[in-house]
Amino acid sequence: MKIKNNVLFIAIATLFLSACSTSVQRLDAQQEVDLSGAWNDTDSQLVAKEMVEDALSRAWISNFVKAEGKDPAVIVGKIRNLSHEHINTNTFIADMERELINSGEVQFVAAAGARDEIREERGDQDLNATEETRKEMGQEYGADFMMQGQINTIIDADGTTQVRFYQVNLELISIKDNRKVWVGQKKIKKLVKNSKLRE
Amino acid sequence: MQKIIPLFFIMLLTACAGQQRATNKLANQLYQQNPQHILKQLQETDPPERDYAQFHLNVGLLQLLASDFPASIETLTQAKKEMAVLAATSISENAAAGTINETLRSYSGYPTDRVMVHNILALSYLFNDDIDGARVEMLQADVAMKKLANRKSLNGQLASTHLLAGIIYEMLDEQSNALISYRHAANIITDRKLAVPVGLQQSLLRMSYMVDKNGQYLTYKKTYSGFPTPVKNSNSQIFALYFDGIVSNKKQNSIMVPSGNNEQLIRISMPAYPKIDYRLTRAKLSDANQQLTTELIENLDVLVREDLSKEYPSILLLTTTRAIAKYELVDQAGKKDSLFGILVNIVTALTEIADLRSWNMLPSTIQFAYLETTSNEIKVESANNAPQVISLTKNSKNLILISSLDTPVFHYQQ
Repeated sequence: MKIKNNVLFIAIATLFLSACSTSVQRLDAQQEVDLSGAWNDTDSQLVAKEMVEDALSRAWISNFVKAEGKDPAVIVGKIRNLSHEHINTNTFIADMERELINSGEVQFVAAAGARDEIREERGDQDLNATEETRKEMGQEYGADFMMQGQINTIIDADGTTQVRFYQVNLELISIKDNRKVWVGQKKIKKLVKNSKLRE
Repeated sequence: MQKIIPLFFIMLLTACAGQQRATNKLANQLYQQNPQHILKQLQETDPPERDYAQFHLNVGLLQLLASDFPASIETLTQAKKEMAVLAATSISENAAAGTINETLRSYSGYPTDRVMVHNILALSYLFNDDIDGARVEMLQADVAMKKLANRKSLNGQLASTHLLAGIIYEMLDEQSNALISYRHAANIITDRKLAVPVGLQQSLLRMSYMVDKNGQYLTYKKTYSGFPTPVKNSNSQIFALYFDGIVSNKKQNSIMVPSGNNEQLIRISMPAYPKIDYRLTRAKLSDANQQLTTELIENLDVLVREDLSKEYPSILLLTTTRAIAKYELVDQAGKKDSLFGILVNIVTALTEIADLRSWNMLPSTIQFAYLETTSNEIKVESANNAPQVISLTKNSKNLILISSLDTPVFHYQQ
């Protein structure tokens, strides 16, 4: 009887401890996983894809090609986080850049931070690289349009239930004359219910 | 074996009480030693997992006062997550609290903690040069306060949070949001029967003039008279917050009485705050032409007492229920073996300890002052600190945090 009790105790203890141990599972980066209801990688990719698709399907792009005879060059500027969450806008900007470049319909220009580093490298080449391999200053490709925007949220909370409403506003502005050639908007609404009980 | 278990319980729970006493002692030492030193000592302690939220709140605050802003953000974010998770009820913890004592429940933070954590985080983000991060914290604080809002009480509603939100919005040129936040701050202060600080009166006039010159501004002008028209100028603006003192620690009130039949000793322990023993000091700001002092915006010593008062009926109910359960337990043990019954009685009496946990390194009061100046520096004086000179860029917006503890003046400028 005593042995039986001990075996039972060990079995329960093992079960208890295994429930507490850390487990790691590799997931496909495309797989949707929503843990807290907060803005996540899926939202970032989804919004970037849909908004770039919308931007590239509008008339501004064909108008530009017809007028200038070349693809427009675009740069992504500041996307302000005005939401209730600490959103890393850099990952959203990276998603936007990827969608824009891969569309093949626009030229893409490096952002301000990256340009500074490249300019520094060109300066270094000017002093140290051979004449055949040296890249000259003043040959940069100037952007025609800048994409700017903001991420906003409205939160309605009651006890353990929350409705999270995200609105991403983006606009494409002509650098030459400040004209807004495209304004896009994407909305996401989430209902988050937190458990009233825990372990 | 049967008799070792009670001894084990006593040792375990004595350790819990010891941990709390040590944290309270460290909080009191902040008056004599600098926050960096206390932070080091606190980080060397090993709190039980159920006290992590309290531990992280204190560590995060001290990290801010020790100028380690990234660490403060990380620690307080952790505390915020812990409190959010612990807001749900745990059946096992409730059972333990109902049979042994309240300290076996995880510390999930009082309403003041749940809002103040956003204040401290916002300040950490600001001094870490991330005003957008600070803005996010203010939005979250607003949601937290709305969740805690109750028509009958001001519990969980912090004027200092609305004030800080107003300052952040004003720095970001969001005048309409700033006006709303300043108005909320003034309403709470008025509801608490305190005087609206001169700096806040000026903020209301300034923002209403920008947003609604012919409407709300005229109403505020009637209420707060004697100020010049707040036209735009090239003066530097200084928003000064002053953290004065250390909030009170809870103490334990216990009574031990014999049962009706004189066979058992019954012990009841309840947490309580001592009478407020705090002498308000003020910080002084001056330039070549003017000198002003900070004014009270939030009395945290009052708020923490309100938090406990709100919990008091449920604490009392659980304490009484626990006393009955313990009485039955001792009675059953005594029927089996009288010596064992005595031992169980000692254990039940010694394990009856009050929950004294709180975010006990917060300041006692938060004060505010607003200064506009053409000077390129101002002098800041506060209790226990030598005067410090703060350099200003022309036409800049500045938020400074002054503490009565041994810390530098923290400065955010844009």
